[in-house]
Amino acid sequence: MNELAVQFEGVGKRYKHFSLENVDLELPTGSIMGFIGANGAGKSTTIRILMGLVHQDEGSVRVLGHSMPAEQAEAKLDIGFVSEDMRLYGAATLKWHMEFMRPIYPRWDQKYAEELARRFDLKPQQKIKGLSHGQRVKAALLLALARRPRLLVLDEPTTGLDPVARVEVLSELMAALADEERTILFSSHNTLDVEQISDQITFIDRGRIIDSDDKEAFLDRWRRLRLVLPPDVAVPRLPGVVEVGGSGRLPVLTTDRFEPAMVSVCNELGAAVQAVDTMTLEEIFVANVHSRREQLTA
Amino acid sequence: MNYAMVRGLIWKDWYFQRMAILLAFLGGAVSLGVVAFGGRPGFTLGLILLVTVVVMLSAMTVMGNTIEEREKQTLAFVMSLPISYVEYTTSKILGNLLIFVPFWVVVVGGSVALIVVAPPIHGFFAFAVIMAVEILVSTCLMIAVALVSESKGWTIAAMVTGNLALNVVGYLVAHIAGIRKQMWGTAIYWNATATILVASEVALIALLLGGTFFIQSRKKDFI
Repeated sequence: MNELAVQFEGVGKRYKHFSLENVDLELPTGSIMGFIGANGAGKSTTIRILMGLVHQDEGSVRVLGHSMPAEQAEAKLDIGFVSEDMRLYGAATLKWHMEFMRPIYPRWDQKYAEELARRFDLKPQQKIKGLSHGQRVKAALLLALARRPRLLVLDEPTTGLDPVARVEVLSELMAALADEERTILFSSHNTLDVEQISDQITFIDRGRIIDSDDKEAFLDRWRRLRLVLPPDVAVPRLPGVVEVGGSGRLPVLTTDRFEPAMVSVCNELGAAVQAVDTMTLEEIFVANVHSRREQLTA
Repeated sequence: MNYAMVRGLIWKDWYFQRMAILLAFLGGAVSLGVVAFGGRPGFTLGLILLVTVVVMLSAMTVMGNTIEEREKQTLAFVMSLPISYVEYTTSKILGNLLIFVPFWVVVVGGSVALIVVAPPIHGFFAFAVIMAVEILVSTCLMIAVALVSESKGWTIAAMVTGNLALNVVGYLVAHIAGIRKQMWGTAIYWNATATILVASEVALIALLLGGTFFIQSRKKDFI
């Protein structure tokens, strides 16, 4: 069995005003990857390439052991896909959609579909055009989950949902994670959603993957050090400092390679460490993006 | 080729166009009735009605099955299913044709039957067949443009072009010596000129649909 559910190697795609460059991405089977980027960063283009809907100009893409886009039909048999810009047929009912999809997917689980409909408070007889946005997202998620996919690809599924619907969708996703063989790629610009369910995080900005790691590793290695500098003491040079903020004598150093020993190094260099702050995923993402953009413009 | 999947997509398109199909059959039956029993003024009026119903069905199905799928963002749902671009294209071409052609066959069959049973208009036989195939060409042009351009504007332009072409072709065919001579006669005729014209139309249909497959199979961005 291929241990990588998704593998991008040197993938590039050029448009007139945007290009995806040299994307390397690995998603091991059974993992849940949060794919974070600002609007227009390249998340949807990457996902469309993954689904075979857009052909890469260069590089190779393998999904569930299939080469994309050539073997997209075979690969999509095992993929559940929900995207923010995907709509179901408004004139048809949810029941019609379930009956339409049932013969297509050999692993379609009708009992699970009905159970999800109850849990999501969806009426199968109701036409899709009569559903709220939240209910439509849940309906699309139901159709993706009931096919029992090996890979679930969710492109900004929680965008535009009210807080209650968002929690319901996320909790159902977490329930779906109980299956260890199922791999999930979850893209969002909402870091809170991604933080809740992911065990791996990838940041993308301006068409480039800027960082990718385990969620815990991200949270462990990113810190903000609040220093107090006596007169005549310079800001200590520490490894992995991506941003120096604060004021002259009260600098705040953001590092992506934090180690506890840094505190004693600072003290030895004459700088008092007032506090070592952990960072949220959102703060890490923003600091990461800013530092990469500065590197590019430097 | 995943035939089961293609079949499923065609059935889906049929399902969503079922009202348009039903209305077209009703409209077609009424138009044929007017042609058959409306006397001389009814003949002309009925023919105009008939052509209108045929053109409307082809426009509605192509717009509904192809352009609206993109505009209403249901294409992402369709393309998330286990299909390739070629299978999608196949399902759209066959789906549109399988909605349109049965209706077209009934209408053309009815019109030809009327010509056969009415001696005063026997001479129209070849002209009617040539124009009927021309309507099929217009429909295929619209299907091809809709699939390749994915644009409502271009598809409407193709529809207008097809309709204008129908008038131009009708005028030209009626003035071709091989057709004109017998057109107003009272005998059913078929000659080499008619065969060449119909064969050219069929070749054009093959070119349009073959070209659509060729372009679609080379597309790099599908959504």
